[in-house]
Amino acid sequence: YIRHHQHLLHPVLSRSVTQSEYRRPGKPREDKPPWQKINFSFSKGLDGIRKHLTLLKKEFLERWVGPQGKPILEHMLEQNRVVWEFRGPESLEQWTVSSDFEIGGQSEAYLKLGRNNTTCFLYGTLRSTPPKDGETRYSGYCSMRSKQPLASFDRKQHHDWTSFNTLHLRVRGDGRPWMINIAAETYFSHQKDDIYSYFLYTRGGPYWQEVKIPFSKFFLAHRGRVQDDQHPLWLDKINTIGFTLGDKADGPFQLEIDYIGVIKDYAHTEEFAYELYKRNPEV
Amino acid sequence: MNPYIMSIFLLGLGLGTTITFMSSHWLLAWMGLEINTLAIIPLMAQHHHPRSVEASTKYFLTQATAAAMILFASSTNAWITGQWDINELSHPMSSTIMMLGLALKIGLAPLHTWLPEVLQGLDLTTGLIMSTWQKLAPFSLLMQMNLNNSVMITMAIMSTMIGGWGGLNQTQLRKILAYSSIAHIGWMILVLQFSPSLTLITLMIYIFMTLSIFCLFKMNKTTSINSLAMSWSKSPTITALSPLILLSLGGLPPLTGFGPKWMILSELTKQDLNMIATITALSALLSLYFYLRLSYAMTLTLSPNTTPITNQWRFNTKQPTIHLSISTMLSLMLLPLLPGIMTIIN
Repeated sequence: YIRHHQHLLHPVLSRSVTQSEYRRPGKPREDKPPWQKINFSFSKGLDGIRKHLTLLKKEFLERWVGPQGKPILEHMLEQNRVVWEFRGPESLEQWTVSSDFEIGGQSEAYLKLGRNNTTCFLYGTLRSTPPKDGETRYSGYCSMRSKQPLASFDRKQHHDWTSFNTLHLRVRGDGRPWMINIAAETYFSHQKDDIYSYFLYTRGGPYWQEVKIPFSKFFLAHRGRVQDDQHPLWLDKINTIGFTLGDKADGPFQLEIDYIGVIKDYAHTEEFAYELYKRNPEV
Repeated sequence: MNPYIMSIFLLGLGLGTTITFMSSHWLLAWMGLEINTLAIIPLMAQHHHPRSVEASTKYFLTQATAAAMILFASSTNAWITGQWDINELSHPMSSTIMMLGLALKIGLAPLHTWLPEVLQGLDLTTGLIMSTWQKLAPFSLLMQMNLNNSVMITMAIMSTMIGGWGGLNQTQLRKILAYSSIAHIGWMILVLQFSPSLTLITLMIYIFMTLSIFCLFKMNKTTSINSLAMSWSKSPTITALSPLILLSLGGLPPLTGFGPKWMILSELTKQDLNMIATITALSALLSLYFYLRLSYAMTLTLSPNTTPITNQWRFNTKQPTIHLSISTMLSLMLLPLLPGIMTIIN
């Protein structure tokens, strides 16, 4: 019978307090208490203040020009807009690449700039062996998701695509079926995984493929489960867009994207592609 | 919605406002405000879209906080002074908290941040009810209190400036109307302590103008500037008249909207508040800019196809047009009657 004398500061210094319980596989175990993790740099702080104040001033003053900084005529006549274009290494900073490596699987995914710095190249290997934690049954996915746009002082900003109705991509894939996920702004915490998805069937081959997907085709899914109560995607507060691959075919994959834009397709007049189950529809 | 249920909600709305109008006890007034809140919440959420549910939740939370502040202020006043009467709110702390609570109810800056998001999540009819009817009950309470506060004038000036500045960045019509509502309420509160009858006139004229704007948008079935630009093909007559309605909202003579602004500015100069009058008049220019922008988009430019829905062409509308016609006439032609209105209301 051993008496376990605990140090007075044990609740403060115990590992479960200084690090959260889940450790991402592949990251080394860090035992430093929080006050040793601070990295204080005066010039970086000043740079940060200058950047945020410039953004704030721009936000205030761009209203003189027009809504969202564009003159009203440009807003009314805008028919297409390129939202993401990969022309330099800083464009890759706007994207987050993840795969099932985070939950302990064995797929890998990497993002780099393509040839001549004009495209982005997402490549890697997919492996659908489930991780050995006893509770995960299926695995094998990887994805690339854009980061949420931020205004001054790291406030969340949204993409406003109300003038448009179709997503236009120029991709060169490898024949695999990808999934495009658009996450709109939600309010309640149980809605934070509400994602509108649609499929992107790539053709492979050396030729570029132009894909136009109307926003009315996107269906609502929560954590991958398609919901019964569907509604159209509201385009005035879009947060992120992402591309996911999870087609259970092990092996290497690659996806090259030239640009991602939104266009206004006058020929497309559908409001929503799926049944709404309205009980008293207005005729 | 089932017509019986809809009539319960609409009658509940009417009941709540009427109870607040006729009450002289703070608890009864609070009860009327609560009935109003509860009756409009299902109307706001009836479409079950996540955005409507979000709007109704935000509305409920802010209005419940405001009602709690009103209850707290009135009971504190009753505890300290023993008075429950609405015009006997004499303790300064109670009257300040009461003013803040009522400001949150109507969306006065700096307590205005809920209003654009909530209006954006509603359909046009419910937005109309929220902009016009829901303002009546808190204003009736504000006009009966005898307030003597510089906080109120500060909030009013902030409202006119924020209403003007915030509306400049918007392309969604409902958010533009929310900021216009904030600006107009700023004008109303500005003159509340000097002449409550002017507040009443401004409120009535604002209600007519907002009614005509919402009916206009409903007729065109439009919620953004781009789709508003297509109204020339649906109904050229109303497209020709609506810049006048918008300019009336902006406060230009010889339209009705000029009357309240003129009277308010003259009242402020009589009270020797020339600087405040100047600042408020200048911030009205900001609101005028976005009203002009709307009329530019709708009438002054013949835009090419800017909406991907099939163009309607001058069909006879199935909606009742009486609301639009009466409110348009009232919001355009009432300025010559202003001396008569001032005599009656004063």
